[in-house]
Amino acid sequence: MDFTLLAEAFSTVMLTPINFLFVFIGITAGIIVGALPGLTATMGCALLIPFTFGLPPIQGLLMLIGIFCGGIYGGSISGILIRTPGTPAAAATLLDGYPLAQKGLAGKAIGMATIASFVGGTTGAVVMTFLSPQIAKFGLKFGPPEFCALAVFGLGMIITISGRSLLKGIIAALFGLMITVIGFDPLSGVPRFTFGSQNLLGGVTFIPALIGLFGYAQVFRNIEKIMTLPPVESRVENILPKISEIVSSLRTTFKSALMGTFIGSIPGTGCDVAAFIAYGEAKRSSKHPEKFGTGILEGVAAPEAANNAATGGAMIPMLTLGVPGDAVTAVLLGALTIHGLQPGPMLFRDHLDIVYPIFAGMIMAQFVLLIVGLSGARYFAKLITVDRKILTPIIFFLCVVGSYAMRFSFFDVGLSLIIGIIAYFMEYYDYPVSPILLALILGPMAEQNLRRTLIISHGDATIFFTRPISAAFIVLAVVVIISSYYRIKKATQIEEQNAFSAEDQD
Amino acid sequence: MKKVDIGTGIGLIIFSTWIFWYASAYSKATIYYYGPNFFPQAIAIAMCICAITLILNAIRGKSMERSDRIELKGFIRMVIAIVICIGYLFLMQVIGFTIGTCVFLYVLMMFIGQQGLKKRILSSITVSLIVWAIFRYFLVIPLPTGMLAYTF
Repeated sequence: MDFTLLAEAFSTVMLTPINFLFVFIGITAGIIVGALPGLTATMGCALLIPFTFGLPPIQGLLMLIGIFCGGIYGGSISGILIRTPGTPAAAATLLDGYPLAQKGLAGKAIGMATIASFVGGTTGAVVMTFLSPQIAKFGLKFGPPEFCALAVFGLGMIITISGRSLLKGIIAALFGLMITVIGFDPLSGVPRFTFGSQNLLGGVTFIPALIGLFGYAQVFRNIEKIMTLPPVESRVENILPKISEIVSSLRTTFKSALMGTFIGSIPGTGCDVAAFIAYGEAKRSSKHPEKFGTGILEGVAAPEAANNAATGGAMIPMLTLGVPGDAVTAVLLGALTIHGLQPGPMLFRDHLDIVYPIFAGMIMAQFVLLIVGLSGARYFAKLITVDRKILTPIIFFLCVVGSYAMRFSFFDVGLSLIIGIIAYFMEYYDYPVSPILLALILGPMAEQNLRRTLIISHGDATIFFTRPISAAFIVLAVVVIISSYYRIKKATQIEEQNAFSAEDQD
Repeated sequence: MKKVDIGTGIGLIIFSTWIFWYASAYSKATIYYYGPNFFPQAIAIAMCICAITLILNAIRGKSMERSDRIELKGFIRMVIAIVICIGYLFLMQVIGFTIGTCVFLYVLMMFIGQQGLKKRILSSITVSLIVWAIFRYFLVIPLPTGMLAYTF
């Protein structure tokens, strides 16, 4: 940790008005995207990446970091007001947020969510700042077997947490891996599955694929359901909770923030998992657990502190090892590579001029979030009532522009549309799309390192188990998948039993 | 979802077999044993195993209940929206980005039932002009101009 560099980065980010402006734009855009149900933080980043192409890397990244943090926080606004989480990370917030709104305390709930998000986000960002350089140093010891095992671990984690079926999660991840083999083979240079098309020689471009998975697919669902969406109303009064209310929730907030940072830093987990676990823990350790779910401020503070802390946590493996913590950081990883930067241990050796402003920007973003969140909550709440029949075509159009702008290619727009149609059907049949996104990032890393390892070891796969770090990752991946299998099985059995008992009562 | 799972499983078996067969052509390309064919073929085998498990689960009655269903009317609306989008991609190359976008947004808003004429016109013109200005002057990214190259 170099404090001189950090201080320099702070002065670069804070004293340069244009940098500050990009953080502000990012946070505001993120909150808007997050607050609108149906537009997730991942989708927000995907749609706004093209707007950063022409910017210098630091400014582009500051804007995307703002969207990330703002998007995760913004989801709580619609969760509290209309019981629809604007982004999956806010699904736990509505458990107590919506009952608070029904009591006429929506403003207070949003205020507490904002303060908790600030505390959580700052905790996550500070931990990220101090821990990342150490992990990057550790990452320098990694060779091909470790990176391959890490990719397997990351994919294993995302499979276990996304979707209702483990098998369908694995199929989705394999489908993503199949997409990554299109284009030049990274080791031998042989073009694979290109079918003679020049456009496919470089592989399926990340941004169009991303917009297909998270942009078009959502737009198609919105168009399909547009006639059945109920009209929404939102009203927000007193924003600030009382000091005593903030103080009484502080313990839960800090505890959730630390938990969120830790959970977020595990590759493949993400903000939604962090929020649910923190909510569960806050309820378990509370003196009055029966009040959770009836509308108490602690029930809002815990998940919000955790999901925003997880933003910083998720950045740690992405920056230091090149393995995204969740879907949004996978998008940010894509953004870094577009700007010619390869996340991983080498980033901390070769591009400290980029790394430290990211740290500073992440911390500063939390302060901007607090100010924008508290002062603009009333206006953001009104946004929820925006006419979907105007908004949906605009997002459709942004998807087209976004998929075109990467290479000025109509081929990419078509490809993105096709991926969007596939993703639309996949979600209907319970195949999660997040594993595809992570596979797109981790696939090339897994393939190159797997083949390199096997070439080095002359085909002896036991090398993965004789090296302690790779063995640890593989064992962890297997344990996580097996435990997840039994967890899902148990949940299904409980569901079936409930269904049977409901039938008996009828 | 039993039928869907069986159908998907069969489709995936055919798809992964084809991937395996297609990738086998790359084995002669390099001197390495773990050449360009290795990874696609390994994934194809894994996919095939998953597809067989999916079918077996479905036969044993272990398919999940669907959490959501596609509404036919909505689905048709979505297909028409995609057709409008494809039309827009061609139109953009003829009459340029800005005018093409205005037309696309207006038509799509009208199609999905936006009632206000003023709202439709204003929002479609405003959005296309803002995005055009951002790309043209701020990001300096070229957008299709079509035959109206000197205007937009």
